[in-house]
Amino acid sequence: MPLVIAFTVILPILYAVLVLLYGLTFFGSSAAALRLQRPVLLFTLCLHAVSLAVRTAAFDHPPITNVYEIMTLLAAAIAVAYTYIEWRTGTRSTGFFILILALAFQTASSLFLRDVVKIPEYLHSLVLGFHVSAALLGYTAISLSAVYGFLYLMLYHEIKSTKFGLIYNRLPNLEMLEAMSHKAEIFGFISLTIAIIIGVVWLPRVFKEFSYLDPKLVGTLAIWVMYAAGLSAKRRLGWQGRKMMIISLVAFGFVFLSMTVVNLYLSGFHSFH
Amino acid sequence: MNLVSIGISHRTAEVDVRERMWLSADETRQAMTTLKERWFAECMLVSTCNRTEVYGLGREGPVSHDDLKSFLIAFKNAGSAVGPGHFYESSGDAAVAHLFRVASGTDSQVIGDIQILNQVKEAFQLAREMNALGPVMNRLMQATLHVGKRTRTETSICEGAVSVSYAAVELASKIFADLSKKAALLIGAGETGELTMRHLVGKEIGRIYVANRTKEKAEALTRELGGTVVDYEKLNEALNLVDIVITSVSSPSYVVQPEHVHEVMRRRSNNPLFLIDIGVPRNIHPASRKIENVFLYDMDALRSIVDRNLERRMAELPRVDSIVQEETEEFFRWAAGLQAGPTIQEFRDSLEGIRRQEVEKNINRFKPEDRDLVELVTRRIVNKILHGPTEVLKQGDAQTDRDTAARILALRELFRLSSNGSEPHES
Repeated sequence: MPLVIAFTVILPILYAVLVLLYGLTFFGSSAAALRLQRPVLLFTLCLHAVSLAVRTAAFDHPPITNVYEIMTLLAAAIAVAYTYIEWRTGTRSTGFFILILALAFQTASSLFLRDVVKIPEYLHSLVLGFHVSAALLGYTAISLSAVYGFLYLMLYHEIKSTKFGLIYNRLPNLEMLEAMSHKAEIFGFISLTIAIIIGVVWLPRVFKEFSYLDPKLVGTLAIWVMYAAGLSAKRRLGWQGRKMMIISLVAFGFVFLSMTVVNLYLSGFHSFH
Repeated sequence: MNLVSIGISHRTAEVDVRERMWLSADETRQAMTTLKERWFAECMLVSTCNRTEVYGLGREGPVSHDDLKSFLIAFKNAGSAVGPGHFYESSGDAAVAHLFRVASGTDSQVIGDIQILNQVKEAFQLAREMNALGPVMNRLMQATLHVGKRTRTETSICEGAVSVSYAAVELASKIFADLSKKAALLIGAGETGELTMRHLVGKEIGRIYVANRTKEKAEALTRELGGTVVDYEKLNEALNLVDIVITSVSSPSYVVQPEHVHEVMRRRSNNPLFLIDIGVPRNIHPASRKIENVFLYDMDALRSIVDRNLERRMAELPRVDSIVQEETEEFFRWAAGLQAGPTIQEFRDSLEGIRRQEVEKNINRFKPEDRDLVELVTRRIVNKILHGPTEVLKQGDAQTDRDTAARILALRELFRLSSNGSEPHES
């Protein structure tokens, strides 16, 4: 498995380089770093995709069997979601804040990842892979939406209080941050919807102990309803700016609770070890 | 190098003195004709509201600064108000460095001024039309524009608004993503308010509305900028149409009250509203600032932005200085290549190198007794080729005679003699 080990070492380094490049442009104004950003970002994404494929082939199961495999998936998902947003909005000054999350997850994954060869039969399933990937993408995009919401509130505060710092100088305008947060939210909402549909349709066939009262399912549905309500409030009631950002942050707080408390203490059939 | 320069600017003279020395384009042409006739092989004259400067390459040695000052004062018939003491002067590398600093915007009254580079560019273009630019000044022009470009891309000396009106516009683009989809309302006809609106129009603001107690004034402004006149009495209705409001009214009481703003925000479903209060005393009740998604800026707040930006520009000065120094050195490295002596020597070395190489490669084809002869004949050929160009180049002085300078540059380029003769920077 030398290839698998090589990826485990290279990926955190690549993410660190990315964070450095985006940081150099945000806190300084390095033209060279700016030029390198996109090529390195795309290269990292490709390599990460290859690494996940290699891992899947080497152990004959998708990398979703333990928390550290999930973490490298999460890092990849964050990078993919960020690339999508950068591509859609053409703004790069927020890359630093997002990619630092990917770096953190990838580093933790690389440090603690153990190769698990023997796993329950149902974890080999590709459909389960899709379910988990969609859920991860969803949670990731929602986290990004919260990061943008947070940056929005910081910029809002700086403009409102006429105290200008790096945030004011480097970040894009309020409207664009709001648009980024909104786009990430929609992306996340759609992914979460897919994950829930796969889960509800497919999981009962595989798991005998499947229950519609599973804490994770209930939690996720609650979050889904919250975002659906928030998004329609924006559409129907025309809610704008600060109010929407605060809603986004609060909803993210619930996502965080669901990911931690529910996973650690309340898991039903969703826990595998 | 015989380059000399004199000038008058805000650093040495008050505005009443400077305006006496301002030259229109026609006057600039006339003055340059005389400058060329009397002293210069190549020259350039730049005149803006803040400075008038002459740069020239003496035809017969360095030109006296005092002569130039007296000429300009007499030309403008300004002897009563302007004296030689109002001028500064420089020669050689100091003159080049000064021109570079001017182009970089660091010598301007408002540090980092963007206008000046264009003004210098236009001055060079006018000199070119007058046939006053030779190889040296042409190169100087390229280098000057290059300095301007470098300071703008490599430093942030031109960044951040340094006027109240522009600071307001910069804030607007920190709040809104696309100003072309937004509308602005100007209330009142104060100068700064109008200037702010002009900047917004420059940023392609979508729609504009103007309200003024004297309706004719509002109409005059909309005729010029486009837009719609709004009844001053129906101001509150107009507030509902726009995203940006600029107030610049002289009124003892507040023109816009918080309850107006509350009502407007309700109607625009809480979309961000940017209020710029340039009136003194203030026109918008300061309590409006507390309303969500309302951004209210008054004169003091805008001034504090300007002060902060000026400080940041000052901090960039050392970086601009090092660019000026680098480019001055680069210019003089190039100028050194213009001397006839070294060029002839390099030309000779180059031909001699080719001769020796070819002789060595082919010498075995000749009988041993003929080999000295081969050496002799090839040497003679090279010397004869060299003779003509050497004679011609030695006759003129490249510093003063542009034909000679052009020949030297051509020779360097055609025979690829060292890097000093390379093409000037792209600008």
